[in-house]
Amino acid sequence: MSPSDDPSASHFDEVTGLLYLEGQLDDDHAREVAEHLASCAACSQLLRALEKESVWLRESLTADDEPIPAHLIAAPQRGAAHWGWIAAFGLCAGGLYTLWNGMVEPWLAQASQAGFSQGNVLTMLFFTGAFWKGWDAMRSLTEFLAMATLGTVAIWLLRKQWRRFTAIAFVMGALACALALPPAASAADIEHGDPSYTLPAGQEVKNDLIVVADRTRIDGDVDGDLIVFSNTLTVNGHVKGDILAFGSAVRVNGPVDGNIRICSQALTLDSNVAKNVMVWTGALELDEKSAIGGSLTMFSGASELNGKVAGDLLAYSGTLEINGSLARDATIRGDRLVIGPTGEIQGQTKYTGRRQPEVASGAKLGSPIQITVPKRGPDYSRVGYYWHRVLFWGASFLFGLMLLLLAPGFFADAGQAAKRVGPAIGFGVLFLFATPIAAVIACITIVGLGVGITAFLLWGIAIYAAQVFVASWLGEKLLGEGVGMGPAIGRLALGLAIVRVLTMLPYAGQLVNFCVVVWGIGAIVLALHRRVTPQLAAAA
Amino acid sequence: MNEADLAQVLSQVRAGDADAWGELYRQYAPAIFRFCRRLLPAREDAEDATTEIFMKVRQKLGTYDSSRPFTAWLYKVASNHCWDTLRRRRIRQDLETGDVDAMPLEHPDPGQLERLQNEHTSKEVRTGLAKLPDRARAALVLRYYADMSYDEIADTLGVRRAFVGVLLLRARHQLRDALGETEAGLAAKSGGRKS
Repeated sequence: MSPSDDPSASHFDEVTGLLYLEGQLDDDHAREVAEHLASCAACSQLLRALEKESVWLRESLTADDEPIPAHLIAAPQRGAAHWGWIAAFGLCAGGLYTLWNGMVEPWLAQASQAGFSQGNVLTMLFFTGAFWKGWDAMRSLTEFLAMATLGTVAIWLLRKQWRRFTAIAFVMGALACALALPPAASAADIEHGDPSYTLPAGQEVKNDLIVVADRTRIDGDVDGDLIVFSNTLTVNGHVKGDILAFGSAVRVNGPVDGNIRICSQALTLDSNVAKNVMVWTGALELDEKSAIGGSLTMFSGASELNGKVAGDLLAYSGTLEINGSLARDATIRGDRLVIGPTGEIQGQTKYTGRRQPEVASGAKLGSPIQITVPKRGPDYSRVGYYWHRVLFWGASFLFGLMLLLLAPGFFADAGQAAKRVGPAIGFGVLFLFATPIAAVIACITIVGLGVGITAFLLWGIAIYAAQVFVASWLGEKLLGEGVGMGPAIGRLALGLAIVRVLTMLPYAGQLVNFCVVVWGIGAIVLALHRRVTPQLAAAA
Repeated sequence: MNEADLAQVLSQVRAGDADAWGELYRQYAPAIFRFCRRLLPAREDAEDATTEIFMKVRQKLGTYDSSRPFTAWLYKVASNHCWDTLRRRRIRQDLETGDVDAMPLEHPDPGQLERLQNEHTSKEVRTGLAKLPDRARAALVLRYYADMSYDEIADTLGVRRAFVGVLLLRARHQLRDALGETEAGLAAKSGGRKS
């Protein structure tokens, strides 16, 4: 400011006005401004406006507009508490694995010796059945998927810390990971038919053979696995590894030392297969001379089994006709089961279907067929149905109550996360389908069986727990946001009751159930992410 | 909580009393959360920052000089944490000190200023604030929310004390512009609907 006779010619600037208002000018400068203000209406008006703006800013910024989130209500404790939870989970997972190894598996082994093996479909599929033994052929693919899944999850968890890493550290880390990867298992011959491919008799492929063609004929021998994508496939030669094929019509006449996995419209087996067979097919025919050394798992429209199966049979088939022999148990679900006069099942036979099975007089059965007739949908006329619904509600309420009491912070987090409907559903879909895939991958790769089984168990718990958080959200919508344990329990009870009623609706109930599971799992994932992230930050 | 109570709670926290720590947290966490909400761009960041700030407070409580106001010290810890968070995310700051110094400031129309104040709610002001560059937003929040002195603001933001006034004024101008743009946008929308 430069004082003069005409006050209007010496207005102070806005910065000076602000500094004057805020008491930041030295005494002499402040005095000059005060003298000028006494004679200048324009500057006085500006100063008043700035002062009002200061008050306005202060009021706007300090307004108590947003309550503190529920999960921040409790004071943070030292990091040990969170690590304690992680350690507890680790111990729990280890305990479950020990329980499985120490008790469940020996019990299953004893049951097997007593002739009760393979009764459990899950056990059959994952531990003794075809799923388990035949995945070697897809090892490299599944390892890649495992790495990709783990990498994606790690990036997602670490994304907030990402900026702390330098590009060099990232590149070096990636290189280290790449070096740590095992080398490719073996080479493979890749053949593209133009349009057909034939491996002549007398020739032998020493590696795995991968064929993509319109028509494929294998008359020679394959020393490794045979992987075929072809409209028609005929195998007359000897395959020493596995056969993995996708096609319209597939016929296998030659011997196979490994497993067979085939997805086709029609499949005919007239060969000796040393290990297991798993097929997804419209029509399956197992010729009289054929023999399967392991188990047969089939998803088929119409099937005729005339050969021998040394292992178990798990069949989902529209029509199934058995004229051959099964050395062990059979679990069959379908529309029609016919056991012909030459048919033989030495183990137990469990059949689920609407029609009674047709058993010819000459058929040999190790024990009477256990028949289950499925019912279409729930029986709404039965009082027992409603009683069971109430029991289910009670069980889920107790489960939710336990979660609320044992982990109130996590419960609140998941409840908050459920409010973010879009992200919750997105993550829910992802984890609902990706977790079992990752768990299977974990089971069959170096990650380990224990991790895979634990992932399955946690996945199952998450599916059950999902309803709790969606119900809590629903309860809050109806009853409002009351503070404290009482209102939270009330919201949970009401929400679960509504969810239960909605899932009882004919047809729509299934959809509601699915939506609740997806939504709830997403909320759990988001809440877990929120819990894990600060630990990562602390560790970084 | 009066000064005597606060002093007692602080000494109990120093002695490792978990209840006292909980009481201190309950007393100050809402204000610190709101402070972080105004300073950091995302709600999730503010939530994380609130937890991390209180973890720091617990660790550093031994360094607190009880002759100074506790809230001033608390906001200093919080502002340093938030500013570090923002700084880590930017390779280059939005505005360097030299740029601030060189920027011409138009003399405002007091009538227009008053109209802005009358027409915008607190929520709109905070929305406008979120649009400002980090340094400008931080300057306003430190001054008008945390009531920090010019020395403390200069120390936190790493600028010379003499620039703090310019920084604050520049931030006010940017906020006025942001609110003006919102107004213009709304006017254009309503005009568009009419036609």
